[in-house]
Amino acid sequence: MRSGILDNRYALNGEDLEADMCELLRECILAPNAENGAFDENITALMKAELIDTIDSVINDKAAYAMQNANKTAFVGEPMELSPNGTHEQAELVTARSAYEAYLRIPERAHVEIFAAGSGDFSAAEDILTGIFSKVQRRDICKLDVVPSVLKPKPVYVTDKLPMQQAILRMYFKAPELSDRYAFTMLSMILGGMTTSRFFENIREKQSLCYYCACTANKSKRVLTAYAGVEPQNLKRTEEAILSEIEDIRQNGVTDEELETARLEIGNQISTLYDSATALIGWHLNQITDEKILSPEEYRAEIARVDSARIQAAARQLALDTVYTLSGEDSQ
Amino acid sequence: MTEKIYGSVIKETCLKYTAPGGLNVFMLPMEGYSAAVAQFSARFGSQDNSFSVNGGEFTRIPDGTAHYLEHKLFESEEKDAFSLFAQTGASCNAGTSFDYTQYYFSCADSFRKNLEILLDFVQDPYFTAENVEKERGIIGQEITMYRDNPSWRVFTNLLEGLYSKNPVRNDIAGTVESIAEITEKTLYDCYNAYYNPANMFLCVSGNFDPDEVIAVCESRLKSRPALDIKAEPFDEPLGVNRRRTELAMPVAKPIFEIGFKMPSKNGAESVEDYVYHNILFDIMLGDTSDFFEEMRKNSLLNEEFSVGVFSGRGHLFPFARGESDDPDRVLAEIQRRIDAFKTVPPSKEEFERIKRATYGALVRDYNNVDSVASTLSEAALADAEPFSVIDTAAAANYDKLLEHLYALDEDNASISIISKENL
Repeated sequence: MRSGILDNRYALNGEDLEADMCELLRECILAPNAENGAFDENITALMKAELIDTIDSVINDKAAYAMQNANKTAFVGEPMELSPNGTHEQAELVTARSAYEAYLRIPERAHVEIFAAGSGDFSAAEDILTGIFSKVQRRDICKLDVVPSVLKPKPVYVTDKLPMQQAILRMYFKAPELSDRYAFTMLSMILGGMTTSRFFENIREKQSLCYYCACTANKSKRVLTAYAGVEPQNLKRTEEAILSEIEDIRQNGVTDEELETARLEIGNQISTLYDSATALIGWHLNQITDEKILSPEEYRAEIARVDSARIQAAARQLALDTVYTLSGEDSQ
Repeated sequence: MTEKIYGSVIKETCLKYTAPGGLNVFMLPMEGYSAAVAQFSARFGSQDNSFSVNGGEFTRIPDGTAHYLEHKLFESEEKDAFSLFAQTGASCNAGTSFDYTQYYFSCADSFRKNLEILLDFVQDPYFTAENVEKERGIIGQEITMYRDNPSWRVFTNLLEGLYSKNPVRNDIAGTVESIAEITEKTLYDCYNAYYNPANMFLCVSGNFDPDEVIAVCESRLKSRPALDIKAEPFDEPLGVNRRRTELAMPVAKPIFEIGFKMPSKNGAESVEDYVYHNILFDIMLGDTSDFFEEMRKNSLLNEEFSVGVFSGRGHLFPFARGESDDPDRVLAEIQRRIDAFKTVPPSKEEFERIKRATYGALVRDYNNVDSVASTLSEAALADAEPFSVIDTAAAANYDKLLEHLYALDEDNASISIISKENL
């Protein structure tokens, strides 16, 4: 749940917006619109229909569709194979009663983290939220247990077809034994996380293969995902080019200039965190499964210590797991 | 000489400075923030596709030229702009719209150095036959990506449906065919015409020293003779070009966008139209309206539905967009709703509630360094005062809302639909 309000000093008519927002939160958590152990039937039917629309409409966004389908193979048998919204079939089974029962489990059993950021002092919010949770009998609290993704014995290749002009390539590399998360982050930045990355400079700019080619690192799952939008006839060339960039780092490490550029880029992102309440909350939320939550300054110090040898070692632990392509019906 | 412009409701101060060569610079320092953002914009967008310089013949340029130029301006004979910004850690990018092209950076350190890089690279074009050719494949892929995007296609088809002559109806990036005609000469011709300080503006927000901005402008801006650039006039009729456009694509449910064509205005009048139509459409059709609740109950709309106002140089229209199994029925219901409001207008209480929500959203924009720079740029582009949108929203009154309601022609509408392609 998330809510954002104006600081009281900006209220047009002097309203106490913080108190109003807290009361709204209290109602949402403790007194939802339910009777006799079930949500309102009509509202549930409406929400269910809209959830199904949301699930089905992933096809409207080809990149999201490709990611969702690719994840089913890359993370088969793991929670990450599931879409956060569930499936059409699962949504069809939801009833006013089952939704309410699921809702009751959240305040009781969910791992709850509360963040507040911005210009208020949040004392009213803290009092109200403390009051809310003092009324809940907490039990069987879910454990946050994120384990590295399992590497397949050999890479799996999957192709899906849709009527579309551009093809989408997604390549998943896994390193289940990797423990150096800072080197992993730097590797991802240098490969495809900035406009001077190897993917951007060598695959987009020098070879003109695509408009975008980038990668992201999931530190909890120890997975690096490279992705690109390319002409169908260039899929193989792009795949080879991505492999070649990773192989080069495995063999030769990275340059001092690349190290410095990545450090500066990450440093810039960290320095501006305090400008945005949402970004600051995201910073902490992103670390709740880690052993220790680092402050932005501690994180910057860790990144500064990463050198080429550590990045090279991280690259050497990566193994290709899944190659997924989504392309037009007529393409090869 | 620096002029101070005060926001009447949010108590911020914007500094306006006119640099040598006529470049207008708008600066809003924000205390307590780490980041600084600078946006350097040229009044040259995709709709500027036929122009004359100093009274000469009109030259028609290929669609997509402004966007192509934006891509190529990052290159120089030595290091490209991305590499230069990388040395300071700043993040930089650019974007082309229908009526402007913008180059920007965001940084936490080395603000002065970054501003120098920004002004230098935008003033230093380097186009060769070879580097222009190299970009064709990249832009071709960008065009293809957008052609596969139903949300973009429903919007561009709506523009074609609304306008018959206004070049805003052409896609920003052009087509694979049109960009094939672009050469280094095309880019230099357009650059020399439009990238003149008098036709550009610079907006800066966040953590910076205004004196430093002025010093960089004075030392880095190149002197260029002011040119008389004229866009080829077009005679856009008041009525829509076509009432309905349909295209089949792989989508889960038909998506639609409806626009109500209106005459466009400039400066304060355009801001007023923008603000009042936003409030009006939110009252009539927004996510807390009776209309939306009823349409959801009848499964004609879902939570993807939204309303707003699209505006720019020479165009403005309120829109409604969403997903529905029966978009034509949605249009008919919206038209009925507008007509009913003309008979029984909204209450003053309802107006006040939506006005407060509109104002609240605008205040929140001032939390964000990027949003502040964008707000300044949008105002500069519209030849409006920097705080005009939020000041107009805070001072909005009921009688003026009714004037806008009665002036709205619900029949002058076009609908664009992306229907389901059979898979």
